[in-house]
Amino acid sequence: MIGVASYLVFFVTVASILAIAVMGLNLQWGNTGLFNGGVAAFVGIGGYTTIILGGTPQVGQFGGFDLPFLIAVLGAVLAAGALAWIVGIATIRLRHDYFAIATFGVAVAFESFVRNTDRLTGGAKGLRGFERPLEGIVGDPLLYNAGFLVVTLVLLTVIYFFLYRLVQSPFGRLLRAIREDEVAATALGKNPARIRLIAFITGAMIMGLSGSLYATFYAFISPQDVLPILTFQIWAMLIVGGAGNLRGGILGAFFMWLIWTASGWALAKFAPVEAQSYAGTLQYILIGGIIVAMLLWRPQGLLPERLVVSQSNVEH
Amino acid sequence: MGLMKVSMIGMAASVAAFASLAGVSSTASAQDCTTKIGAVLPTSVDWGKPIAATAQFAVDLFNEAGGVKGCKIDMILRDTQVDPKVGVDAAKALVDLERVPLLIGAVSSGVSMPILTSVTAPANVMQMSCCSSSTAFTGVAESGKTKGLWFRTFATTRNQAAVAAMLIRDRGYKKVGIFYKNDDWGQDIGKLVAADLEAMGIEVSANVAINDGAPSYRAEVTEALKSQPEVIYAALYPTEGSAVLREWISLGGTQKMVLANSLKSDEFRDNVGLQYLGDSIGHDSAAPRVATAASFVDLYKAKFDAEPNGPGLPNIFDAVMISLLAMEAADDKTGTAIAAEVANVTDPSGMAVFPDVDGIKAAKAALAEGKSLSYGGATGSVSFDKNGDVSAPAVSWTFTDAGTAEAQYFTIADVDGFIASVAK
Repeated sequence: MIGVASYLVFFVTVASILAIAVMGLNLQWGNTGLFNGGVAAFVGIGGYTTIILGGTPQVGQFGGFDLPFLIAVLGAVLAAGALAWIVGIATIRLRHDYFAIATFGVAVAFESFVRNTDRLTGGAKGLRGFERPLEGIVGDPLLYNAGFLVVTLVLLTVIYFFLYRLVQSPFGRLLRAIREDEVAATALGKNPARIRLIAFITGAMIMGLSGSLYATFYAFISPQDVLPILTFQIWAMLIVGGAGNLRGGILGAFFMWLIWTASGWALAKFAPVEAQSYAGTLQYILIGGIIVAMLLWRPQGLLPERLVVSQSNVEH
Repeated sequence: MGLMKVSMIGMAASVAAFASLAGVSSTASAQDCTTKIGAVLPTSVDWGKPIAATAQFAVDLFNEAGGVKGCKIDMILRDTQVDPKVGVDAAKALVDLERVPLLIGAVSSGVSMPILTSVTAPANVMQMSCCSSSTAFTGVAESGKTKGLWFRTFATTRNQAAVAAMLIRDRGYKKVGIFYKNDDWGQDIGKLVAADLEAMGIEVSANVAINDGAPSYRAEVTEALKSQPEVIYAALYPTEGSAVLREWISLGGTQKMVLANSLKSDEFRDNVGLQYLGDSIGHDSAAPRVATAASFVDLYKAKFDAEPNGPGLPNIFDAVMISLLAMEAADDKTGTAIAAEVANVTDPSGMAVFPDVDGIKAAKAALAEGKSLSYGGATGSVSFDKNGDVSAPAVSWTFTDAGTAEAQYFTIADVDGFIASVAK
């Protein structure tokens, strides 16, 4: 039973970390209509910054500043924001499809960058993390993972309520207005480029937080963690869960990560021994099939966006 | 939300139904008892499939010889998709849900490392990889963080780089161009070979990174061609290796090549063409002069009707066999106990063992009498140092019509002697 509990704690932690990134994307795509094709870069820069700032010194390796964990996380969030700001200034005026391609290019460039800057990022070998914060004090691995899960869930909740309030606010209405009709928003005296940039940076900072937790949890990050498949996974979670709906995004993250992992588990369990070496391929087909089926069955996602028409004369 | 709930419940129900079905079928066919071990390998990648099949082959042989302590071994295989998240999750599920004391894998160092640091080492599970060659593992082991639970049957990149440099030196080349795969292994070996060559006063005129999946490698090839090297050292995988070296030869580059063990594949030979590979020589950690390696080839051919030419096949075979022998030797089935016995079954002064069915039976009998074993398998006789690294002898090889043929044998002393000579 302890094994099941231990695995569940682990599973929920990873799913929650991914859900945070999905909420960041939801702000960008679901609320503002920004097609960010470079999620992996923003998650990745969060992860790398955390280990560089908070890690222990290693021979021949930049970083290892051994800073307190909270400062490392803060640095990760700011680094992701800074990257989004630079990318945003250059690309935010692009239309949907061009913006998607440009941000996808940023993610590929980021992966190339970390793969080749040995001294800064460990190159292809990756960056070994630090002793995870407080791990030595807690000792028991299961207890530690449970504690890590609590911290992750708290952060998930904080982000949830922050975004919930943000989207309900006049600013949230403005985001939707820009998403639905940019010309109309401009005609009303709004500055869509500036608002979109703010939404893009905020979303990226949330992704950076997700990456920071990710790298801390595994105590390791390498270029293999920031391949385009990560962008695809986060997108699949948002689309399946329901773009524009925060709870949908979280549900989508848990649902898709369950599919992703449970399909491998089920195939390992039930496929005959002779077919085992094909199970990996079958798993890909299964995952793809489920995404397609979901899109056909519920194109608006598991929990569709609920649009509330704000009326000032409604009694409270 | 209602729909969602229904579908989740339905899914859970069908999973449960499957689970009970599987339970019935396995108890019906099993022997008295079953011992589970885990494997995480990239089975969704073309070169990963034969590695997984060879691992299963080793398990089958062991089961034919009566299993471990009379229990049938059930190897639960999970795909990593070469995605660290997926690989770590698979490993975690095997360790927590299936309670495996032993995990075989992974292949990529970028997947093996987070598994080691966040799953196996904290849970005291033994991990043995066939193919992760990054020097980073040696560092982690030296710091004591692996708790002696980590092993790999792939000679470290250091060992392989030394042999590559020796081959270049022995052929009298003075100017070398290097193509390396732009991943942890390729960067490591490219750097190490270049350092060894420069230590011997041999010029490295070009050192070019090759990224996976590019539509053309003309830019990279042209860059290397500018410096007119006498010989090319290629640390690449078959797919990119074929593309790069075809382009290299078609643009008039030298056909004198030294090839890493990863290119020891029929796919590469057929894609480049045997007529262009006459002046090439490769290196590998296997030891074909040892009778046991030849016996492995015979065993493999009898089973698969093909030469074991894919990367990592001898290594995964030995990784599984050594792990299972250590499990047989261990007093209890915990990762720590099994890992402690690895030294005992790879003891150079022990009884020599080759792991065919009869050999496994003899080994088990010897272990029961308290004797130690000297395991000699597909990569020759294996022994691990304190960091779980192997110091295997090496060979050079050339391509032939039938596959590959061994050219020269380097003993452990040759390799270690060379490393010491360039280290000064």
